[in-house]
Amino acid sequence: MNGIFEVNYAAFSVFAALLVTEIMGAVGLLIAWPSRSKVLDYIVPVWEVTGTFGALWVVTGDFAYPGLLVPVSEIFTPLLIVFLILWVARGASIAFAEFITKRGWLDEEKLFKAYALATVVLGLVVLVLLSALVGGQGVNLASGSFSIISWATAGSVVFVIGTLLLAVGLAPIFFDLTALRNLVLPLTALGVVLSVLSYWLMSSGLLTSWMAVPVLLTLAVGGLYAWPRTSKIVTNKAVFLLVLSVIIFSLQPLVYPKAIGQALPIDAVTTTGAMADAFFSITLVGGLLLALMLSLYMVVAARGPSGPSV
Amino acid sequence: MAVDAVSMLSFIRFLFAFTIGSHILLVSTSIALVFLISISEFLFIRKHDPVYEALARKLSRVFVISFGVGTASGIVMAVELVGLFPSFMTLVASTGAIVLLYAEVSAFFVEVLALVLYVYYWNSFRGRYSHWVVSLFVVTGTLASAVLITMLNAWMNTPNGFDVSAFISSGFKTVTGVEPFAAFLTHSTVSQVFHVLATTVFAGTMVIGAYFAYWHVRSRDAGERAMYSRALKILGAIAIVTIVLAGISGSEEMGTLLVNQPLKYAALDGNTVPGNNLPDRFFGSVVNGSYVGGIAIPGMQALLAKFETGFTALPGLSQFPASTWPPLLVMTTFNIMTVGGLALGLFMFVFFVSFIRKRRPYESRRLLYTWIPAAVLAMLVYELGWATDEVGRQPWIVYNVMTVAQAANTSSALLVPGIAIVLFYLAVVPVTFYFYSRVFQGSNKEKPA
Repeated sequence: MNGIFEVNYAAFSVFAALLVTEIMGAVGLLIAWPSRSKVLDYIVPVWEVTGTFGALWVVTGDFAYPGLLVPVSEIFTPLLIVFLILWVARGASIAFAEFITKRGWLDEEKLFKAYALATVVLGLVVLVLLSALVGGQGVNLASGSFSIISWATAGSVVFVIGTLLLAVGLAPIFFDLTALRNLVLPLTALGVVLSVLSYWLMSSGLLTSWMAVPVLLTLAVGGLYAWPRTSKIVTNKAVFLLVLSVIIFSLQPLVYPKAIGQALPIDAVTTTGAMADAFFSITLVGGLLLALMLSLYMVVAARGPSGPSV
Repeated sequence: MAVDAVSMLSFIRFLFAFTIGSHILLVSTSIALVFLISISEFLFIRKHDPVYEALARKLSRVFVISFGVGTASGIVMAVELVGLFPSFMTLVASTGAIVLLYAEVSAFFVEVLALVLYVYYWNSFRGRYSHWVVSLFVVTGTLASAVLITMLNAWMNTPNGFDVSAFISSGFKTVTGVEPFAAFLTHSTVSQVFHVLATTVFAGTMVIGAYFAYWHVRSRDAGERAMYSRALKILGAIAIVTIVLAGISGSEEMGTLLVNQPLKYAALDGNTVPGNNLPDRFFGSVVNGSYVGGIAIPGMQALLAKFETGFTALPGLSQFPASTWPPLLVMTTFNIMTVGGLALGLFMFVFFVSFIRKRRPYESRRLLYTWIPAAVLAMLVYELGWATDEVGRQPWIVYNVMTVAQAANTSSALLVPGIAIVLFYLAVVPVTFYFYSRVFQGSNKEKPA
């Protein structure tokens, strides 16, 4: 077991779970603006936290794999710059939207929709990046380049479609949209099938018996929601986020022990020695601080309703 | 699009300088805002003056925008560093310098969770003091982020915590003798953190103050003017304290440079040759190895850097190979910075005198009109301060270890997305400031009766 990889991947799992729930909400804002309140009640206090977990993933990644930074820079920087522009656009538009009062043509709806659009496109960019990290499609390690044309293989495209279907299938659970209850299980099941198919198309070596864990967990979430007596368990946002993080965390065999189409052995590029000790020390102290702040958050949040300070 | 490596290197330098120059505009105002919010709420609790509470509430929403855009922009910096200077980041990630960035993320978490509690759960706190204490967490998180990133910059100026000669002799491949926590305290950390904090808070305070000064002069509404004058009273006090600290820490910084980066010191002061009793020079230039033009104040250099005259041996450019000299433009940026800083000090002195004579400077039209150009000057001085620090270290990205050219990714594939990011920042920074104003002005329902 590679503890440093596990910490970095755990940070990614929480970040990805938060981002997925934001994307679910963003789609809701784009196609069902009149019923926005359920979405905004969740997204508005949480989007800053998503960004911070994103920063945690990036920095722990820098720390964990110093030898990878040059190749990552050569291969992915143009894609990362597109990601960065969308990232700032997302942060700026939702921050503006939260407190804007209507004057002229610009109003809350336009800004929230700009946020939603930036978030959905950002999600697509992340999926392209992740599929390349998993299957290596489009990546030329020898020349240090990435080609979107070479990326567009059946495996990559099915990966994107499968993940989007999963997000759409799980969204009614997260926002408790009971009118769409019957769609949850079929869409989730189809998403699972396509996702597993995409892993096989990318590289048959990615399919191990371990893959049963995320598959069963995902189907269990859909199943629990389909049955009214148990739906309350999974519509609890904290529980859903926790389970989603666990599902993503359990997908780690896609990139460990080898990533980028089984070409990159992770252990060989992970930091060691005094730096590894420092990594764990800072993780421990930072983790305690985070736990303290989250405890404070939960105590205060349990007391009363949230809402901007107006 | 094929672009040669030399042009790409220049473009990459420009791209990073531009994005970080834009980013620090947001950061400095964020830090000033968080101080103003916390002090306003404290004064509301102590004085039961509802104007202070309304001010804190309105500003907390502005701060959410500032935080949202600022942290997103911070992530741009973090990822850009990997993309544009991968060899530099490899060195950072192989030494204790990365520990600073990791610790900074913990500071972000404190800041973001405290901010969410502070803004979105304002009425859920039983006691007002307990809510105010949360603002101190926001202040702490914000300041800790600034301190930690400044520590990284200090490490770039005076690197430590690894075997430098072994690293260079291995062709930048092997890092040995790593002491991961040494980067927390390099030779320049204390003076640089002190100076950066003082100048950052001062510049941000002046910019936020200019906004209130403008509206105070313009507004006809007594309630609004009461709010603006209270804000200016707090900001004026912060600015007076921080300009004094900026002066003291600036002198301390020069003393540190003298010892640790003598070449940079010589370039900033235009010392062509070393000497003991050199004059402080302003606005001249170095031509054919000699300093020409400008104003010279005899014997001032050692006084400013070491609080003594004549004894300290001051370095000169002639002691170093010309190929290692930074662009001598830094002499001019440094001069504008010091003269601008002195002018700002004078302005704050007038403000202070007016304050102790109970002339209510925060309501004086003359002083408020002056505050606005002073804020522009403060931000210019602040930006030039950073430019002086960074350009003064050239050609090194990590002083005496790695040059910018050795660190950079000069792939021409970066050109188009790089231009896109510049255009994007050109739009996002003014729009952000516009929204600060619009959100602040747009919620006058909170104006106290």
